[in-house]
Amino acid sequence: MPSVVLGTEAFLSLAKATSTKHGLPHMPVALVPHPLGGISVDAARAKADGILDEVLRGLTSDPSAPIVTGTAGPTLVDAPDDLDAFQVWAMEHEWSDGLPVLPTTEARVARVLGRGAGDALVATLMPLDGRATLHAIAVNGALAGAGPEHLPVIVAALRAVAKPEFNLNAIQCTTHPCTPLVIVNGPIAARLGVAGGPNALGNGHRANAVIGRAVRLVLQNVGGARPGREDRATLGHAGKFSYCLAENEAQSPWEPLHVERGFARDESTVTVCGSEAPHNVNDHGSTAGETLMAALAGTAATTGSNNIYLAGDPLVILGPEHAQTVASSGWSKQEFKRRFWDAARVPLKKFSADNIARFKLTHPERFEGAGPETLLPFASRPDDVMVIVAGGPGKHSAIVPTFGATRSVTERIDA
Amino acid sequence: MKLWSPFSGGQVRIARLAPRKSSLSGLTIGVLDNGKPNAGALMHRVAELLAARTGAAGVRGWSKPSAARPAEILDDIAKGADVVLTGSAD
Repeated sequence: MPSVVLGTEAFLSLAKATSTKHGLPHMPVALVPHPLGGISVDAARAKADGILDEVLRGLTSDPSAPIVTGTAGPTLVDAPDDLDAFQVWAMEHEWSDGLPVLPTTEARVARVLGRGAGDALVATLMPLDGRATLHAIAVNGALAGAGPEHLPVIVAALRAVAKPEFNLNAIQCTTHPCTPLVIVNGPIAARLGVAGGPNALGNGHRANAVIGRAVRLVLQNVGGARPGREDRATLGHAGKFSYCLAENEAQSPWEPLHVERGFARDESTVTVCGSEAPHNVNDHGSTAGETLMAALAGTAATTGSNNIYLAGDPLVILGPEHAQTVASSGWSKQEFKRRFWDAARVPLKKFSADNIARFKLTHPERFEGAGPETLLPFASRPDDVMVIVAGGPGKHSAIVPTFGATRSVTERIDA
Repeated sequence: MKLWSPFSGGQVRIARLAPRKSSLSGLTIGVLDNGKPNAGALMHRVAELLAARTGAAGVRGWSKPSAARPAEILDDIAKGADVVLTGSAD
């Protein structure tokens, strides 16, 4: 049926990308001056007059279909030989994330690909339905500095983000600052040197850096989420360069994440979450799970969190010392989850009246009948709280909220 | 130097848009609210003004529960309206 899409100028590129992907680059879009959110209803309604002619034209006159040619298959292109000139060229051609990239020569890509079948399709990636073939993944891996040993982890992570429950299109295009956090479990972590100890989410670990970065470059170059265009993040976060760590299984008092999810301890997996940057939990004083909980829950239960109103499965990363403090109270991981879920809540009265009105409109099932003292949990049920142990010595943990309308996915690494 | 391109786009097949209407007179204008702040307010206002100007029969509204998920009510809208306005992103 004849339709017109209304959007603000700031989000035109995303509307165009979405309609183009569906074969409708000529879909009429009526542009409204940005913003529509954060203004009064009357101010929003007043913007109607300015677009009336455009909407009527979109519903009553046929636009002609443009001619668009898609590119198919691997393509060799000419690039500058000089490495510094190549960096400038790579930015101009939108290959790069801004950090230096390595040339994707035939020899380097062949080395990363190894004996893999280049035309094997690993995943179709939103928003542009890009074809993540093994070859395309190896090219982006070579760009990121990855070696052949990292490829199976990168491939498994991309299979995981393409699962419908991950909601990749939204993760790639939202204004919210989120990106796949890649958690590696099992023996492959030690074999490749994926760090789960000191500074695991920071610098200094090649495997963490190149695996996370290769995943990001595939999402940008194959998935087609270009910053400021299809990727509409208001601020983004530093994990959008690379966001990967291993669980510190050796120092965990509990079963690791992949065992909790039905894999054998000697199997290797990746788990992806649509994650914000880590929010630190500093607690040098508590000596038991009961008292440490105040700092953990207090860091999670904040009014700016997507998880408070969209639920989902946010992550708690316990530093090994905090994990031991919790275990010293005799708690299993499930007991910790239950108590954390009970404690990490925000009373509705902490939100503005404007926000409460909006929540009741957009999520009536969660907010209908809620009063000022109603406590809103960080997830829908205790089992939805994800828990891993990671990091080195010290009294810090991290809360890693998610986009909310996304679920983490665990995939076996075939290596 | 010769380098492999990191891009691997899907092939876009151009689809045909539904034929436009010659006029909106006597037709029902649908509004699919994507759930973003004020989107429904603006689109309903546009639809009311259009109806007043063109002699459309009326306006009917639908809502997506979340902008972050695809709409599952498209068949319903196709049965209940002749043309539709919807929103993209914020």
